[in-house]
Amino acid sequence: MQSNEAQDLAQIKKTLKELLVSDLSLEDIKPEEIRDDEVLFGEGLGLDSLDAVEIVVILQRKFGLEVKDLENRKDVFYSIDSLAKYIYENRKKNS
Amino acid sequence: MNIRKRGNKLGFWFFRTSLKWTGLSGAYGLLYFVCLYYLIFDRTAVSASMAYIQRRFRGINSFQKYHAVYQLFISQGKSLIDRYYVVSGLGRFDIELRGYDRIKSLLSDSKKGLILLTAHVGNWQVTMTTLEKLGRTVYLLMSPEENAAVKDSLNIDSGNEKVKIISPDNFLGGVIEIMKAIDEGSIVSIMGDRSYGHSASEAVLLGDRAYFPHSAFSIAASAQCPVVVLLSAKVSTKKYFVDVSHIMEPRFSSRAKKKEELEGFVQEYAGVLEDYSAEYPYQWFLFHDIWRKENKAVN
Repeated sequence: MQSNEAQDLAQIKKTLKELLVSDLSLEDIKPEEIRDDEVLFGEGLGLDSLDAVEIVVILQRKFGLEVKDLENRKDVFYSIDSLAKYIYENRKKNS
Repeated sequence: MNIRKRGNKLGFWFFRTSLKWTGLSGAYGLLYFVCLYYLIFDRTAVSASMAYIQRRFRGINSFQKYHAVYQLFISQGKSLIDRYYVVSGLGRFDIELRGYDRIKSLLSDSKKGLILLTAHVGNWQVTMTTLEKLGRTVYLLMSPEENAAVKDSLNIDSGNEKVKIISPDNFLGGVIEIMKAIDEGSIVSIMGDRSYGHSASEAVLLGDRAYFPHSAFSIAASAQCPVVVLLSAKVSTKKYFVDVSHIMEPRFSSRAKKKEELEGFVQEYAGVLEDYSAEYPYQWFLFHDIWRKENKAVN
């Protein structure tokens, strides 16, 4: 049986992938086709800086996180794994 | 043409000395000789100006084109002298601020800040100091090569806490810092008439399709904040105006229409600049071919 943390993380990743595909209008890719460790920007999924704006908005509006905490956090935007981990830790902290 | 980069120490000494001894008129007088030199010998500066000049003044002959380039060089020279005049404390300019009440009310009605969309027109570095009375921190999205000149003109290194710089070379073009600044109620100034390799949208400008960066509109739509177009122009030897009355509220009606709507916002902005160039043709310092397709970056 999965721990609560693993279940929460899995759910966050699933939601994130769905939001990325819908809110960023990603064409020719389905949420389940995005790998957890796939690099989001540049190589990999090929997102750009304007997609980053949308991701910040997703983090603010869908997950209740604050943009001020994201400054100098390049590591957070690396992959679905890193984003999900950040959301899990900070949502918990804020709640 | 950029006198700061192109001039030498002796040249600067002449300008400084004439400014001190003969005032603005004397320093402007020197420009007519200096700019003639650049017109004849600086092919790079001349060709950089031609993309704009030949579209702004369609149907003119070669001699008239070179004359227009000469006028543009002189106008930019005056702008640089004016900047030095203010920075060195030799004097000040009268600045008429148009649209201040609207921008003030926008900021007081919302906790969020706004995006100030500037262009290479007039003397925005000098005139931006008038916005200090808004009491908000102004962040300039600025490439490193422009930082030195701007830092001088806005006294950024002299402890001016109200004006700060965000480099587009930061992670993801500085968008996280921009979003944070807007969220905190600050003003973020973005140059709208050159993409510096960032993503761009097409718009018709002076009869041809040109490429403008669209990040200001895209960020504003996501951050739900307004875009205020900042224009300035020199209207007499000692007077400038600053116009912040053109306000846009870029929003996307649907994801599917995002690209089309972005082009609409960019076209509106291009129209504002075209109107400006109709009135002040020699104060848009467009030394860059924004009509060249290569400028449409894929980023």
